[in-house]
Amino acid sequence: MEEKRHTSSHYEKELQEIKNGLIYLGVLTEKAIQQAMKSLSERNSDIARKVIKDDNEIDKLDTNLEERCIKILALRQPTAIDLRFITTAIKITGHLERIGDMAVNIAEKALQLNEEPQLKPYIDLPRMTDLVGSMIKDSLDSFIRNDLGMADKVRQTEQVVDDLNEQIFRELLTFMMEDSKSIHRALLIMQVSKNQERIADHAKGIADMVMYMVTGECVRHQTCPLKE
Amino acid sequence: METNTIIKLKDVNFYYGQSRALTDISMTFGKNKVTALIGPSGCGKSTLLRLLNRMNDLIDGTRVEGEILFEDKNIYAPDIDPVEIRRKIGMVFQKPNPFPKTIYNNIAYGPKLTGVKAGDLDALVEQSLKQSVLWDEVKDILNKSAMNLSGGQQQRLCIARALAMKPDILLMDEPTSALDPISTAKIEELIEELKKHYTIIIVTHNMQQAARISDETAFFYIGNLVEYNKTEKIFTKPDVKQTEDYITGRFG
Repeated sequence: MEEKRHTSSHYEKELQEIKNGLIYLGVLTEKAIQQAMKSLSERNSDIARKVIKDDNEIDKLDTNLEERCIKILALRQPTAIDLRFITTAIKITGHLERIGDMAVNIAEKALQLNEEPQLKPYIDLPRMTDLVGSMIKDSLDSFIRNDLGMADKVRQTEQVVDDLNEQIFRELLTFMMEDSKSIHRALLIMQVSKNQERIADHAKGIADMVMYMVTGECVRHQTCPLKE
Repeated sequence: METNTIIKLKDVNFYYGQSRALTDISMTFGKNKVTALIGPSGCGKSTLLRLLNRMNDLIDGTRVEGEILFEDKNIYAPDIDPVEIRRKIGMVFQKPNPFPKTIYNNIAYGPKLTGVKAGDLDALVEQSLKQSVLWDEVKDILNKSAMNLSGGQQQRLCIARALAMKPDILLMDEPTSALDPISTAKIEELIEELKKHYTIIIVTHNMQQAARISDETAFFYIGNLVEYNKTEKIFTKPDVKQTEDYITGRFG
């Protein structure tokens, strides 16, 4: 949807800066997840420590974006599409900040897992990482392009991630039943999987907000796919 | 006419000489609702407001087509007395325009002319000033000149003056544009109260004011009614792109 420009170029610029900030925040969080998972698959704890340290930048950017949104609400009193954009932006920055926290959780688990022998080859976990990475990217692309189709695709992919999480859970359960020494590592891997599943929930949350921003309809608690 | 409708416009066109100011307007106004008319300057919103109590009759060379039904009667029918219409459909203007008389006589003047008995006037003045939330501020100075009141008080006095005529509808043409924020807030609060007993139709250039106080909002552009819906809908997800462009400041 091509928007006309605001009469106030400053207002236009403020909205564009929020959009750009969210894209950058999305790039940072996506990278954080990839790096956290890389630290696990390559058993490189230095990478994990860097993910934990870099989360500070994500938190700062989240706070900065939220403050900008509140400033626009107070000073510009946005309406219609601008109001929906700002409320969506506030929600998205919150989701992205939480995704950053999930990446930190994964990195912390990686630090522990890297200290012990690898329980099993990681096959489904990297698949989940690819899926949640593309969910974050697609949810933000749908936000930038007002693309309902792409947002709906993200909402549907969440179920695939849920299924993978359950599959990993079942598989790890058998490891634990067979060998009690594997319990600690299996539980840590379960938590990594659970964190990825929660990242997918946040990406879906972003897609839900995009649906609201474009249509004005709240779909957060509706099941997918959307009713035509 | 539906029970909740107090005014109904059917295919209304309005002309200043050869120039058409309103085009095929059909809409209804809800009883005991606040309806805001918004749009850029020259869109016809004030013209429409003045049509509703035949104030445009006072301008030479104007012409109305279509019907404006109030209490099931076309207010432009030949047998309708415009003075009676203006009694039932009162008006408050942009700038407070009290008479150069005492506060008391500002209120009592109209009712006296329409035959209200002298013995009933005191109660009517008090009731009208209470309704316009001015009584406590002026009850001890009723015999002082209205011209000494502040702008906000003068505007509430004008509202009280309109209410004293026991209207069904109050038309307000940018009633707070000449007032400071506190006086504006008082008028807005008053409008909230008044809608319990009156139907209010207000023209405003202040988008936030329309959003705050009205139940329904109508957006006009170049004499056309572009969109008319619940205020909440208009300001969160309007159906028409032109409305969205206007209220978000992407117009022109």
